[in-house]
Amino acid sequence: MLVEAQRNRGALRRVTGLARSTPGRLSLVALLLIVVSLLVGAVTAWSVQRRSDALEALADRSEPLAFAAQEVYRAMADADATASSAFLSGGVESAALRARYEADVAKAAAALSAATSEITRSPELTRALSTLSGQLPVYTGLVETARAHNRQGNPVGAAYLREASTLMRTRLLPAARELYGVETGNVVRDLEDAGSLPWLEFLLGVLALVVLVLAQRYLTRKTNRVLNPGLVVATALTAISLLWVLVASLLVVHNASASKNEATVVDLLARARIATLTARGDETLTLVARGSGATYEAEYVEADRALDDLLGRLRLVNGTPPVVEAVEHHARWQQAHREIRAADEAGDFTTAVALALGQDARGAATAFDALDSDLVDAIGTARAELTDAIGRARAGLGGTVPAVVVLALLAAAASVFGLWQRLKEYR
Amino acid sequence: MRRLLVVLALVVTGCAPVPSGAPPIGGGTPVPPRPAEAVELTAPPSTAGVPSESCDPTASLRPTGPLPPPGQMPAGSTMARIQQRGRLIAGVDQNTYLMGFRNPFSGELEGFDVDLVREVARAIFGDPGAIQFTVVTSEQRVPTLERGEVDIVVRTMTATCERWRKVNFSTVYLQAGQRVLVPSNSDVTDIDGLGGKRVCATKGSSSLANVATRPTKPVPVAVAHWTDCLVMLQQGQVDAISTDDTILAGFAAQDPYTKVVGPQFAAEPYGMAFPKADEDFVRFVNALLERLRADGTWTRLHQRWLGDPPVPPVAVYRD
Repeated sequence: MLVEAQRNRGALRRVTGLARSTPGRLSLVALLLIVVSLLVGAVTAWSVQRRSDALEALADRSEPLAFAAQEVYRAMADADATASSAFLSGGVESAALRARYEADVAKAAAALSAATSEITRSPELTRALSTLSGQLPVYTGLVETARAHNRQGNPVGAAYLREASTLMRTRLLPAARELYGVETGNVVRDLEDAGSLPWLEFLLGVLALVVLVLAQRYLTRKTNRVLNPGLVVATALTAISLLWVLVASLLVVHNASASKNEATVVDLLARARIATLTARGDETLTLVARGSGATYEAEYVEADRALDDLLGRLRLVNGTPPVVEAVEHHARWQQAHREIRAADEAGDFTTAVALALGQDARGAATAFDALDSDLVDAIGTARAELTDAIGRARAGLGGTVPAVVVLALLAAAASVFGLWQRLKEYR
Repeated sequence: MRRLLVVLALVVTGCAPVPSGAPPIGGGTPVPPRPAEAVELTAPPSTAGVPSESCDPTASLRPTGPLPPPGQMPAGSTMARIQQRGRLIAGVDQNTYLMGFRNPFSGELEGFDVDLVREVARAIFGDPGAIQFTVVTSEQRVPTLERGEVDIVVRTMTATCERWRKVNFSTVYLQAGQRVLVPSNSDVTDIDGLGGKRVCATKGSSSLANVATRPTKPVPVAVAHWTDCLVMLQQGQVDAISTDDTILAGFAAQDPYTKVVGPQFAAEPYGMAFPKADEDFVRFVNALLERLRADGTWTRLHQRWLGDPPVPPVAVYRD
């Protein structure tokens, strides 16, 4: 212990002794410059890397996962609406409706396996995901039982379909909604991480420059030369590094804010599409319940109001042709729905069903299909723009980290070289 | 000393393994699906336990005379109002096979109850199709009539004294009785063998009240529609269904792995139900029922839906 303390004191004395002589001070300045350049370089590189990681997480995980979650939700809501339509149409369901239902189930299962692949990223989703993957086979089992009974003319088939629909509405869809909410939240969080202003990088760069300028002034006072070439080069390299980082980061910030707008549009569109499917399911189930469907009609009104609101907001932020058409088709559907309700309430059930399911241009089915395909188009475009913006942001950061590291190393080397020139004079 | 510290550090870190952050797989306990609104009752429904009052629920209002010809309803009567409207609004069921059900192929409502509604429409309009069907659940039958949303309810509805206070009934058009349906491999032989077991019936039905008040204490499970009971029986969520033999026959026809057992332990005389105010309509329909019993229509309809017809129920009147 005693020996150790003596040794420490010896080291301290050596450093203070070094500081008393000019060559010693020059050596200390060189050391300081090396440390500052390397430290600033390392921290800046780490900060840029973090931004780049956030973008990578966004492009490779959260955005695709949010899309997968949206697909899970959409496919399940569509499967439910399609199954009720098939039932309402009577007899054995049409090949088209059957194909649509099968495609929905396949899509839901595939999207679910994509959504489940990153389960460790959002542990709070464990319950929702296990509900989704556990109950989807139960749901399809019930629908198939309903089909088997329908084909034999047993009215109990309708009860199985009701049970399936209840399962969908009370367990599967809420879990899908939770999944979608969390994954969309992850997208927003990653976008915010990537789009934060580069204050740290800026302050560190300025710090390095200030230290270099101070060192230069110290040298000017100690020696008679105005400029030290090594330090000038080091200062220039540090400034280049700072500029590079700032330009690249601000480019990312700019693209991230564009992405955020696109992400909002995608979210609004996705929610509009889900509201569309929910409203369609409710419209059909109101007719299936035949006079005892007041709760379904109330749910339709609620979904339709949400859809109206979402389309209104979309029109403000994104007036693209598919969105404008969607608004138009929605108005047509609302008109058709009013006619359906009027016919049903007047006791004309057959006309009401024909208006709801028929391929008449005035009917609800046509307007609903048109609205849905408008939303699909709009989602496709908005999502392509979102991934483009993220891609542009990532491109901006390409090569920044190695450049920062190399520039920091070169700046340190230049500083040492510059001071070495002066130190040599004391030999 | 230092070596000891190194060994200690190794031991300590060796003792504290870092657990995986991956969540467990889950799904250990499957959650079976249930029909909407299915509940296991812990207390008897409010309609249960009402003491049978000193009334004969099967006695209805006497017809005032012969039926007026179709399309010529007496002015100011309920029937004239319905004729004016152009359609009869009837509350029926679409879930009770053979009584009132939706034919999965055609999408049309069919059954014994539905055919009787068509006879009523034929008597008013001369057209058995001038009907707006409204599907009502067991629970909604009385409230729908009280709100005046339907002209008539023909939906396996038992005439009881308690219900007579809120609605009017026609004379009895079918004499049903409550029995028990169990899986064919069950060794239960009657309702009293079901103590502590789950027995399904619809909300607001007299069957549910009868199950809940049995002294052997079966556990009543209430659902919205009759077919929900069959779903729960097939999924093993209930041990039996107990209701009128007419409804049970419909279940047995849909599932060959079930059997109807035990004696009729409660008489369930079916009547058509009307809003309390529409007494003239009740008398009109009672006159119609007299005719249907006499001219063989009743027998024909029974043969079509429920099999070999017994003697039609005898009309009882309270004037």
